[in-house]
Amino acid sequence: MNHEISPEPVRVGPATIAFRLSDAAGNPITGAQVGIEADMSHAGMSPKFGGAKEREPGRYQAHLEFQMAGDWVILLHITLPDGKKLERQIDVRGVRPN
Amino acid sequence: MRVPGLGHLFRWRYARPVLQTPLLALSVVMILHGLFGPTLAPKNLATTLSWLHFRGLLVLVLLCAGNFFCLACPFMLARQAARRFFTPRLTWPQRLRNKWLSVGLFVLILFTYELFDLWSSPWWTAWLIVAYFLSVLVVDGLFKHASFCKFVCPIGQFNFVASTLSPFEVKVREQDVCTRCHTKDCIRGRREPISDLVTIRGCELALFLPSKVGNMDCTFCLDCVHACPHDNIGILSRLPASELIVDPIRSGIGYFSRRKDLAALAMVFTFGALLNAFGMVSPVYAVERWLGRRLHVNNEFPVLGLIFTFFLVVEPFLLLGLAAWLTRAWARSPRALLPLAVRYTYGLVPLGFGMWLAHYCFHFLTGLYTLIPVTQNAIASLGRPFLGEPRWALTGLPANVVQVIEIGFLVLGFAGSLVVTYGLAEDDSPDKPLRAFLPWAAVCLVLWCASLWLMFQPMEMRAMLMSG
Repeated sequence: MNHEISPEPVRVGPATIAFRLSDAAGNPITGAQVGIEADMSHAGMSPKFGGAKEREPGRYQAHLEFQMAGDWVILLHITLPDGKKLERQIDVRGVRPN
Repeated sequence: MRVPGLGHLFRWRYARPVLQTPLLALSVVMILHGLFGPTLAPKNLATTLSWLHFRGLLVLVLLCAGNFFCLACPFMLARQAARRFFTPRLTWPQRLRNKWLSVGLFVLILFTYELFDLWSSPWWTAWLIVAYFLSVLVVDGLFKHASFCKFVCPIGQFNFVASTLSPFEVKVREQDVCTRCHTKDCIRGRREPISDLVTIRGCELALFLPSKVGNMDCTFCLDCVHACPHDNIGILSRLPASELIVDPIRSGIGYFSRRKDLAALAMVFTFGALLNAFGMVSPVYAVERWLGRRLHVNNEFPVLGLIFTFFLVVEPFLLLGLAAWLTRAWARSPRALLPLAVRYTYGLVPLGFGMWLAHYCFHFLTGLYTLIPVTQNAIASLGRPFLGEPRWALTGLPANVVQVIEIGFLVLGFAGSLVVTYGLAEDDSPDKPLRAFLPWAAVCLVLWCASLWLMFQPMEMRAMLMSG
């Protein structure tokens, strides 16, 4: 799985995360259900939840909002078409203040 | 002690273990969850309870009541249990019978907190708690009395300094009763008449109640209350910070004005408050990157070391040194520079406490309700979600509301420091108190402005300071 976040560098405010899901052979995984959870790296902040939409075969995109500067962790809760569940973590270091 | 219910509880000999037991159980839960629970700090009980709720409640209880967290200290319960099997034989070394070691450990805790980003690591937080338990068991397993509390514990030293501003104090009700007392059970312990075995401990921190002044070194353990055969010791109200202005000889401590180690503790308490807050706002990263470029290093250790040296050594040396020099020059104070700086450093404690309150209450209040979903999640992970699914939307009070409270604490601290330093100036230079006061008021103003500036900086907590 590879991903990109815009804007770059990431700042407090709305952001878009896009990622590709592919199987071991490199074929795009289509039709997956992807839930997004964004957490800060420190206690005291509630996680933000959302969902990702498939924009093209195997390419998913989600909108999220970074409410505070600092380190964030994005968890992808993925349900594959065959029902198998996966979890992937994306570390977003150093979200900058506006 | 005369409050219905509470008084009865505190007079009861087993009050302390009863208060300690829930905190011990909570500590065990935090260790287990920290080691085996979610690795994300916002979802773990170890990090949530340690860095939000414990610290917030600690400073609020110190402000509103007294050193009741030392009273309910779970580490001491473990120590008591261990002492059933091991009797300490050694006496704490004479050259360590001061606060220098604990000042160093206090700085070390602040340093490791930043270096290892303890706030973001449940695993490290759990090990910190484990290390604390082990340290208590080793120190108090080897050394007699409450050596750990008096000479080692960094949390305890924080509480001792902050509790000088608390409205309650453990003290005698009537001095006359103590004058007539021949047994001195409050310090010697109550003993069996024939065997002379101690049945109720006296003060383990060497505070003889009739000459005890203030809260410094008092853990509110209530041993003296239980040992006193005349029911002459209680938790009594007093004017907060008043003990910082006067300078009598204090039992177990001596004169504040002659204790450089205590003044160093007060200094680290005050300047460390600003430093600790500085570590969570955006400008610290700009400073770190700049220092990293100048030093050609990517390692955080030397950069953080320089920042700590500047804020805890250079800055206090310059500010306090200049203020002491001006006081000597303007007010013709008879004291030399160092004793003058030592004497007035205690006046900065309210400012420091205001900053700790503002900082810790920010985290505590803005994340107040997060304990609910984190607990729900922890229980659900055991397979029995009887508290329901985690309600992650629960957070705490809005940041703009908390900011008003923060400013209130800072104003309170600033006012407190001005009152204390003026009191010290009146005592030190009765002829020219204003001249003695003005340099220290200027120091207070500088620190207060720095505190306000810090509070209005955007919060930014990173686990990798040198990144980006």
